[in-house]
Formats: sequence, structure tokens, C-alpha cells
Amino acid sequence: MANVAVANEQYNYDIVRKFTIMTVVWGVLGMLAGVYIAAELAWPFLNFDNPALTFGRLRPVHTTLVIFGFGGSALFATSYYVVQRTCQVRLWGGKLANYTFWGWQLSVGIAAISYLLGYTQAREYAEMVWPIDLLIAVTWVIYLIVYVMTMVNRSQPHIYVANWFFIAFILATAILHIFNNMAVPVSMFSLSSYSLHAGVQDAMTQWWYGHNAVGFFLTAAFLGMMYYFIPKQAGRPVYSYRLSIIHFWALIFLYMWVGAHHLHWTALPDWTSTLAATFSILLLLPSWGGMINGIMTLSGAWDRLRNDPVVRFMIVSLSFYGMSTFEGPMMSLKSVNALSHYTDWTIGHVHSGALGWVAMISMGSLYHLIPRLWETKMYSEKLIFTHFWLATIGIVLYISSMWVAGIGQGLMLRAFDEYGNLAYTFIESVSFLHTPYVVRTLGGVFFLSGMIIMAYNVFMTIFKGRKEAAVLEAKLAAKLANA
Amino acid sequence: MIEWLTWFTSMENTKPFVLVLFFITFVGIILYVYTGKNRSERLESYKNIPLTDEDEQSTHPEEASK
Amino acid sequence: MKHETIETNAGWLIFLTLIVISIGGLVEIVPLYFIDDTIETVKVEGKDTVRPYTPLELRGRDLYQREGCYTCHSQMIRPFRDEALRYGHYSLAAESQFDHPFQWGSKRTGPDLARVGKKYSNQWHVQHLIAPRSVVPESIMPNYPWLMKNKLEYKDIAGRLKALKMVGVPYSITEDEYKANVKRYGKDVADKLDINQAEKNLLAQAQSGNYDGNKDDITEMDAMVAYLQVLGTMVDFKKFEDGHFTRFR
Repeated sequence: MANVAVANEQYNYDIVRKFTIMTVVWGVLGMLAGVYIAAELAWPFLNFDNPALTFGRLRPVHTTLVIFGFGGSALFATSYYVVQRTCQVRLWGGKLANYTFWGWQLSVGIAAISYLLGYTQAREYAEMVWPIDLLIAVTWVIYLIVYVMTMVNRSQPHIYVANWFFIAFILATAILHIFNNMAVPVSMFSLSSYSLHAGVQDAMTQWWYGHNAVGFFLTAAFLGMMYYFIPKQAGRPVYSYRLSIIHFWALIFLYMWVGAHHLHWTALPDWTSTLAATFSILLLLPSWGGMINGIMTLSGAWDRLRNDPVVRFMIVSLSFYGMSTFEGPMMSLKSVNALSHYTDWTIGHVHSGALGWVAMISMGSLYHLIPRLWETKMYSEKLIFTHFWLATIGIVLYISSMWVAGIGQGLMLRAFDEYGNLAYTFIESVSFLHTPYVVRTLGGVFFLSGMIIMAYNVFMTIFKGRKEAAVLEAKLAAKLANA
Repeated sequence: MIEWLTWFTSMENTKPFVLVLFFITFVGIILYVYTGKNRSERLESYKNIPLTDEDEQSTHPEEASK
Repeated sequence: MKHETIETNAGWLIFLTLIVISIGGLVEIVPLYFIDDTIETVKVEGKDTVRPYTPLELRGRDLYQREGCYTCHSQMIRPFRDEALRYGHYSLAAESQFDHPFQWGSKRTGPDLARVGKKYSNQWHVQHLIAPRSVVPESIMPNYPWLMKNKLEYKDIAGRLKALKMVGVPYSITEDEYKANVKRYGKDVADKLDINQAEKNLLAQAQSGNYDGNKDDITEMDAMVAYLQVLGTMVDFKKFEDGHFTRFR
């Protein structure tokens, strides 16, 4: 037991614990918001004529809570843990790390409330009004400093590959956040502002940001997670370190080019979107290289899949990663995009990445992390299995219903009758969407239930860990008294 | 000075130029990473970093509590 | 240089990463500001026809953003036959050149709105916004009854125009700027873009347009409908020969 105390002194686990708890909290809230807005599309009465409950205001609440609340907190927790363990040094800056915790949680919380009240920049995934943007910028710079200084102070000569991905994510996010949110406020005391760019340039900047929120926030950083937690959980080193070198440089280079594939056939000049489509296809290579590197780490230990639910989360997450990084380049082809764009196919694609890859790898990593942070075993391994199945079924329902919805609507809208008139009105395609929307909501309910079970399991584990620690301390005290 | 710069502004020139440039860089990196037995072994040895942190000092809670 | 140099030196790692992630954005974004053909010139009889929003339309646009309309409606028509039949001529870059931020959208849960202006009457819009299903029974759009009840906030309208002027929208404050607008858009439009007259112009447009059908008050509905009714109406495609705009693509 004494060694654990040493670990606690050697590493700053307190900050990792805080972010871990908030990951679970935001996960439940964000997914709840997601299920609710999914239900609104199936049954519009759920908007209840209440401004704060309408789809338009709740949708950014959902995206912000899951991306920045759940995903962001998971990344803070794991990156702070990984950088300390792989550099074998305590987190630099003492209390500064606590500032990043409060700065980040405040940003996410205030942002969600401000959307409900109607304060937004109306930029997808960057809806936060300018004062929140400033708070995020300051928090992020401190995060960067803490992370870099910890790396600089390392006692291990090499910087492990997981840290490359984390540092690229921190740097890229800083650049994207600053350039995309440049705006002029109406006045010092107004939450309204107008963006610096307009029209075409604004669209390009926004989707350069938007797709790299996916590329760096939701991919590169979670690959950092993969490169540490999969080898740890599997108890064997990553499949190929050389592949990871190529994976890293190719991925961070190519991702920055692809944003304009969100703007095919728009008023954006052709050369830009063609370039983006080309790079999107190229991106398949490093994406799959990374996936193979992760999955092959298990080669020779496949039996772990049968009895270790945590490994299962991780491997399934990589399968979904492989699937969505194949689907993505395909959808970036102009001919496919002509059909898929503006439809629910895109929504399904995002969720196969977000639920399948991002959420599953985070959950796997947290199940690995939590017993180590609270010095105990998970409260129930059975519940981890239950969570795994609920999540997987939820994702499958979600994605397949969105394929039907997206492809179906796309085909309906471009159909002509024998006289060359449009075969369907727009509203007919909306009626068609009702059934897929119901199935999607059901898929969301499954995924959310899994998350709630996880929350229960995590909090029971924490209580268990605390109780065990107290008992141990009492024993120790008794021993000392006897001696 | 300006003349050779304007050469790049034409898409017909830039496209093949950049294609060749990127391709050479990519092949260069692949060759660097995958050739040379010593270099390969050296690079691969770093993959054990995350697994070594427990050996130095048994900080692993499960092992520690044994 | 060995790859180990990067792996053992945080400075190198950060420096090279920064370079590698900067290239894509620089190549794709910066030229959009310098290539002239990116935004079409749309002139009729020597005057620009795509103009900045009037104060009332601008407030409507603010409300459009507040309610998150962009999460379900696009404002970007693509050059396809079905979209031409359904929505009209494909959208030009010029038509959103004063949109801070752009509202092209990414999802059509509802139809595209880039050319919804003048397609329906004001009464239709009012009824549809208050209770969409009373007009289109299968609609899944939320009701927006509060637009009719809330009085429009317009005290900060001059400040809003000034902020937009700072980011490059040609609203005028000085006499010279006003004259430049007269030359560019003609007197009628230039008058509406005068920041000194912003509040007066907003009230006058709401009074004369009477978008919400209620003469007594200026409600948020006035602004919202005024905005919807101007969308896509600034370019009269009958005044241009076929294929005039294709050379910009």
C-alpha cells in the first residue's frame, strides 16, 4: 500500500480524477440532450412551444456537451495521466492544472446555458459567444503550457508517441479556435458579435475548423488515447512503432486540407473543394494504418476479447474508426456527396465516428483508468459487459436508421416523374423520415442507458475505493497504536 | 524573381509539382523508417515505454496491494 | 536528422508539428481573399444589386441565428436540376458576401431558404412561424409563437451596424461613405445603409412593411419576416444572359 501513496505523490492523480468524474457527468447530460432532440424530430410536440426546448437551441447544447464536455474532459483526464506516466514525472505547474479544470468546466456549463437563452455565434461546433471564447482561449493556453512543461521536465529520454498526438491536438485546436472565432463584438457589454470573415471565406474558415474539430479534437487526441491505453490494457506493446511514426505525420498533415469537402457544389470555388476531396481520399491511408496498428497490438492475444470487456470496448471502437474513416472519404467524392450532403447520412456518419470510435475508446480507457485512480477494482465487471452490449446495439440502430433516412431522402429529392417534374415534394420526404427518426431515437436510448449504467458503476467504484482506503487507514492506525 | 513565382500560380504547373513533391517526401519517410536493420530495431524499441513505468517502481495499484 | 531528435526534443516536435498542420489551411484559405473570381460581380446598369441588409432585416437575421434555424435549414442551392426546380437558380458567392457569419448550413431537415424571399405572403410566414402544422400538416418544425409576442429590441441597432462596418460591410457614417454608397447602390439603397439613420430606418420599414400584420407594435415577427422575404431576391437572374455566372465556377 505504501507504494500507492508514492504513486499519488509522484503523479498528480487528483486532476485526473476530477476530469474523469466530469467526463461521466457530461456524458450522461450530453447524450440525454441528444436523445431528446432526436425525439423532437420524430414527435415535434416535444418542443412544447418553449424557446429553451426547441431543437434549434438544444442541438448546440447536445453537440457542445458531448464534444467539449464529455470528449474534452476525457481528453484532459487521459492526456494528463498519459503524459505523467510516459514521461515519468509529476505534472508541471502545481495548481495551474486546477485552473484548466475550472476554466474548462465553466466554459462548457456557461455555453450550454447561454444557448438555451439564445446567445450563440451560429457557427456549428463553435457556437460559444465571444466572452466564453476568450475564457476557452486562456484555459487552452494554460493547458498547452502545463503539458509542454511536463514533457520538458520528463525523466524518460523519449517522448512516447501518444504524447505526439496529444500535443498536435492541443496546438491545432488552439490555432483553429482562435482563427475561427475572430469577431467584432457589438459593444463591450453585449454578448452579440459579428464574425470577421463573411460568405465564402467564412464558410471555408468554419469548415476548416469544423472538420479539424473532428480531425484533431475527436481523432488525433483519441489516437493518443489508443496508443497508450490499448497497449496497457492488452499488456503488450503497440504493434509497430515505425508505423506509428508514419501514421502521425501523415495524419496531421492530411487532415488540415479536407475541411472543404463539407462545401462541395456550393459557392466555394471548385479548386478548393476538389483539393479537399483529393486529400480526403489520401486520408484513408493513415487512418487505416492507425487502425491496423491498434488492432494488431492484440495479435497473439485475441482471447482477451472473450473475457476482458475493456479490451472489447477498445477493439470495437477501432472497428468503428475503420468503418467511418472509409465512409468519410467515400462521402467526400463529389458524386456521392451530391446525394449525401444536407441529409441524415452525414448525421449517421458523424455518429458512427462519435459513438463508435470516440465514445467507445473513451469508455474503454476510463474503465482502465478508474480502478487505478481510486486504487480498487471496478464495482461490477458484469455491468461493463452490459454497457458494452447496450452501446453496440445503440450504435447499430443509430447508423442503420440514418443510412435509410439519408439515402432514402437523397434519392426522393432527386427523383423525377415521366414528364420530367419532381417526383416528390420536400414535405413528402419529411414524412418518409418519421420511421427512421423513431428507430434512431431508440438507438440513442440504448446508448444513453449504457452511459447511465457506466455512471452508476463508476460512482459505486469510487465509494468502494474510498471505503477501502478508510478501512486500510484504520488498520494502519491500529497497528501503529499496538506497536 | 517574380517570374518564377508566377509559374506556381498556374494550376497546370502546381498540381504535378506538388504531387511529385509530396510523393517524394512520403517515399522518403517510408524509406527512412523501414530501411536499415539497426534503425528499425532502435525505433521499435521505444514502443515499450508505456510498459516500463511499472518496473522501475511498483506503482501499479493492483500489484502494489498484493 | 534522426527521428529520435524529434522524439527527444519537445521544441523540435512542436515546431515541426506546427509547420505540418499549417500548410493545408494556408493553401486553401488565404487565396480565397486574393483571387478576384472568388466572388462574382453582380451589376445591373452599373449598380451593385447585392446590398447589405437593412437594419430591420439585420435584426431578423440575428433572430434567425438566435433560434438556431441554421441547424435545420440551409441557404445554399447547388447547381442541380432538382434543386433548380425546387428552389431556383444556384446560389452565388456574391449573395452571401455580407453574411457575418455565413448561414449556408449543413443539413436540410427543412427545405433550403436561400431563395425563400417573396415566394410566400407575409401572412403565410406569420401563420407558419406561429404554428407550422396549421399550414403544412406533416411539418416537424417547432412553433415560434413568441416571435409575435416579443417586442423587437432595436436600441443597439447603430452599434450593430458599426460592428459590421468594422468587419467590412459598407454601412456609412461619414458624408463621403454615404456618397460612395450612392454611387455603388443608388440613393434609395444608400439611405438605408446610413448608420446615423439606423433606428429611423428600422422603424420606417417595420411601419410601412407591416410584416406581422399588427400595426401597433414592432415585434420580433416583423424583423424575422422582413429577413425571410429578402433572402435570395437581390439578384434578378432575368437581367443576365444564360451562363453569365458559370465562368466564375
